Amino acid sequence: MTTLMPPFRLHRPASLAEAMATLSSTPGGRPLAGGTDLLVNLRRGMGAPPALVDLTSINGLDRIDVGADGLVLGATVDLARLGDDPRVRAGWPALAQAAAAVAGPTHREAATLGGNLCQDTRCVFVNQSEWWRAANSYCLKVRGDTCHVVKKSERCYAVYAGDVAPALLVLGASVETAGRDGTRRLPLADLFREEGRTHLALEPGEVVTAIRVPPPDGASTGYRKVRVRDSIDFPLAGIAMSLRRSGDGLASLRVALTGIASASVLVPDLDTMLGRPWAEIAGPLAEAVRKACNAVKTTVATPKYRRRVSAAAAVALGAELWAGQEESAA
Amino acid sequence: MSTLTRPPRIGRPTPLVDGVEKVTGRAKYTADLPAPGALVGRILRSPVPHGILRRIDTTAAERLPGVVAVVTGADCAVPFGVLPIARNEYPLARDKVRYRGEPVAAVAAVDEETAAQALALIAVEIEPLPAYFESAKARAPGATLLHENKPGNVEREVHNEFGDVAAGLAAADLVRKRKFTFAEVNHAHLELNATLAEYDPERGWLTLHSTTQVPYYVHLTVAQCLGMDTACVRVVKPFLGGGFGARTEALGFEIIAALLARKAGGTVRLQLSREETFLTHRGRPQADITLEIGMTRDGRITACAAECTQRGGAYAGYGIITILYAGALLHGLYHLPTVKYDGWRVYTNLPPCGAMRGHGTVDMRAAFEALLDEMATELGLDPFAVRRANLLTAPTTTLMGQKVMSYGLGDCLDRVETASGWRERRDRMPPGRGLGLACSHFVSGTSTPKHWTGEPHAVLNLKLDFDGGITILTGASDIGQGSSTIVTQVVGEVLGCDWSRLRVVSTDSALTPKDNGSYSSRVTFMVGNAAIQAAESLKAILVAAAARRLEARPEEIECLGESFRVAHSQDLGLSFSDVVKEALIDTGTITVKGTFTCPKEYQGDKAIRGSAIGASMGFSYAAQVVECSVDPVTARVTVHKVWVAADVGRALNPLAVEGQIHGAVWMGMGQALSEETRWDEGRGLATNLVDYRVPTMAESPDIEVHIVESLDPNGPFGAKEASEGPLAGCIGALMNAVHHAAGVRAHAVPLTPERVADLIEAKERTAS
Repeated sequence: MTTLMPPFRLHRPASLAEAMATLSSTPGGRPLAGGTDLLVNLRRGMGAPPALVDLTSINGLDRIDVGADGLVLGATVDLARLGDDPRVRAGWPALAQAAAAVAGPTHREAATLGGNLCQDTRCVFVNQSEWWRAANSYCLKVRGDTCHVVKKSERCYAVYAGDVAPALLVLGASVETAGRDGTRRLPLADLFREEGRTHLALEPGEVVTAIRVPPPDGASTGYRKVRVRDSIDFPLAGIAMSLRRSGDGLASLRVALTGIASASVLVPDLDTMLGRPWAEIAGPLAEAVRKACNAVKTTVATPKYRRRVSAAAAVALGAELWAGQEESAA
Repeated sequence: MSTLTRPPRIGRPTPLVDGVEKVTGRAKYTADLPAPGALVGRILRSPVPHGILRRIDTTAAERLPGVVAVVTGADCAVPFGVLPIARNEYPLARDKVRYRGEPVAAVAAVDEETAAQALALIAVEIEPLPAYFESAKARAPGATLLHENKPGNVEREVHNEFGDVAAGLAAADLVRKRKFTFAEVNHAHLELNATLAEYDPERGWLTLHSTTQVPYYVHLTVAQCLGMDTACVRVVKPFLGGGFGARTEALGFEIIAALLARKAGGTVRLQLSREETFLTHRGRPQADITLEIGMTRDGRITACAAECTQRGGAYAGYGIITILYAGALLHGLYHLPTVKYDGWRVYTNLPPCGAMRGHGTVDMRAAFEALLDEMATELGLDPFAVRRANLLTAPTTTLMGQKVMSYGLGDCLDRVETASGWRERRDRMPPGRGLGLACSHFVSGTSTPKHWTGEPHAVLNLKLDFDGGITILTGASDIGQGSSTIVTQVVGEVLGCDWSRLRVVSTDSALTPKDNGSYSSRVTFMVGNAAIQAAESLKAILVAAAARRLEARPEEIECLGESFRVAHSQDLGLSFSDVVKEALIDTGTITVKGTFTCPKEYQGDKAIRGSAIGASMGFSYAAQVVECSVDPVTARVTVHKVWVAADVGRALNPLAVEGQIHGAVWMGMGQALSEETRWDEGRGLATNLVDYRVPTMAESPDIEVHIVESLDPNGPFGAKEASEGPLAGCIGALMNAVHHAAGVRAHAVPLTPERVADLIEAKERTAS
């Protein structure tokens, strides 16, 4: 049944310092930007933060800077703008494609880059009403002590379904955060943990403030989202790839996945393919992707399909990028 | 009298008369109605799918400040159900709960927070019983019964055979038998279920505004369940945000709102959430179908044997009708010399199914069209040729006793064959792309009402007063399909008067004549005919008045638009308002009535059990070609274009007809591609619009509509229904197009990427 929005105090600070002060003085307070993930979850009774700190009025937090060091993106850049920016589309196509693939057009107008990266993990046993979860004795992620997906599991398998994270992972992005102990910068991969309840390695009150993406390195990049509908849907699987070839051999390859584990994950052990021609890469690539999928029954689509289509989509994207590299070289 | 209507009101694309309110946002839907001080209603629902209700303690909730009323099963001992022979549901469970989400108690409180707190204070003790979520398990020997009077958990079995099916199969050159399964779907109407209930304790009057397609059934049901005189109840249907069959019966929440309002002695607003609206359900049941068809070498059907098991959910609802329809509308599309049908409607511990656009026929029709396609391929026949080999010739009577008076299916086939470029393109499609054909049909109104009262099947009033305005008073529920526009067009066509004189007042039991409701595509046909009669009756009064003033005989009066004059005379004639003034002398306000009743011969054959279902005065027909592709990587099916030709008898409003056909095709496509309710041990996994995947604009193909007009002899100006017929064809055509594109025959719907991927993988495994 509809759960009312819990009572909270809404803060709309004009500066990051003010935001940090509010968050540190309000334990349990949460940062808010577009709200397309957080507000839906709160309305469904997933959490009752005493305060929400709206970051969208903070000056400069929505910047898109392109320079010799690459791309600097503020956390509150909205996804519609990110997907449409001609500089991003030209230099970091995987990122633009991923941003444009999120949910539907109205979501993308509100949703932000930081919010998309930090979105909560999802599970059919969690993203339901409070009545539903209560009638199902809750679960590891919300108020309970059992997992309905993997019986007797001690970890939560709720799935991470952000589209933008895998694109940023293959682009080698890092994130800047601000928290009680000041600011820090960490590789994006270190922001994530592959566990449904604790998938973000952020301290209480710590927020992502910016994303830094290195300049293009000659690789072709792309993002493929597999879903039933071309709007609204979360990815059943999402594959981002950065591929560079040298002649007929592979010079570099990075592949990251989403929708198939509790975090966006970089596919490991691809270096063995370096130097090889495409014909010798496709098979091992499919196998590596399949292995990197930690898909279980967290969605209405089967894990079998999500694994299989991840591999197939990765091979298809790889083939396209491989061919594109030849054209750009020619 | 002779009439020339210029411009004609029918046959022209006409924007809906209530369209302005909708597009400007001025339209008030039930949830928008101002009701200052209204209490908030909320429902407590069963957390278990099946169990004995041992105890409900509402004491703490009642003591909570701000709680005005609490109701439980003890407050209503009268069961409800749309079919008088199958009333087995209580608005609030008594003794037993039979599905997860069934209402067990409800509160009315001063605000939402208090109502929510009150629900949490209600203690419910339920002793669980074994629960069944599949038809086979519910029917298994020894299964606990959901309803004591229904052995085997079978609500209704239907068995009939027309002609000698065994002989028909023996005479065939090719016999094929296939099993199909169709997932359960929900209407996913965008407006959430809501009722505003106002009880006047001084007078003992109850007024309901509700989201319904059948305000009359709501009126009856609420009066029965509350033990009230129907004269003390008033039901109004405001603007409605979609129906599709979900609201063709009085639903529990409407009764609950009334119970709360009466107990509170005031006004209660009850609005259900999306999840609750899904749980109220009444969608199309999951169906297991086994179909066997015999065919000659040249494509003629010799026999058809069909079995259908519907997983009906926990209560009766429309179930008996649905299982009858699945068999009854095997007939009437093609010439079938022998037909056998066996149907089972099964009780399961899931939300109750009900009527949904294309009621009962859709899954069976899709299966039939898929099997025809498979057999055509096997015989080396073109799918069009197979359909043409089995066409009916109207007028005719089917084996089930249905009278087919007009039949434009042949024209429909011609139109989509040409438009789609079938002959030139079908054998030259690029890899992964395919074309598929299917046909379908539907009734223009079920010809027997659910409640036999002896009253006409439709009544419409016209009121003409001193101002020269004509008020059309109709109980017909405009649910977005445009019924208010149709009656306005029909009255305007007969009267020939200016459009601005015509106003519609609809669906308010205190003002408008009773109407059975908007279901089974009955309104244009039945209410349209009643509107013609009412308008003709008013016209006769006006002509008589004009004749008096002009000192002529009525048959000499000629009307051109609003001018009345004596034929062949040179006089200027009378204006409409002159004639109205004359007509009102000595009588004052004029109220006329038109009625319509389906003649007995269209109400089925008494000798054939169950033939009242599927009997109709006019059948609509449709043929469609779907072009789709199957993605080689994801196995996702994309629909690129649909060519659909529909025989609607006559398109009274081609704009609305086209919209209805788009909607039917699109709804069929949703069922074919991605829509599926999912219950995991009775828990709804897709009771939201993220996981229940209605196609979005991004999936909407170009739909090219061709209107075929067969001019039905009984329809108003020749019109038949235009909204339900084309739905099933989209599913069958898409199943066939997928085969053409990817070489796999799907026997399970929807054709989700994972299902198609499995089929392709199995095919590749067999090939290697």
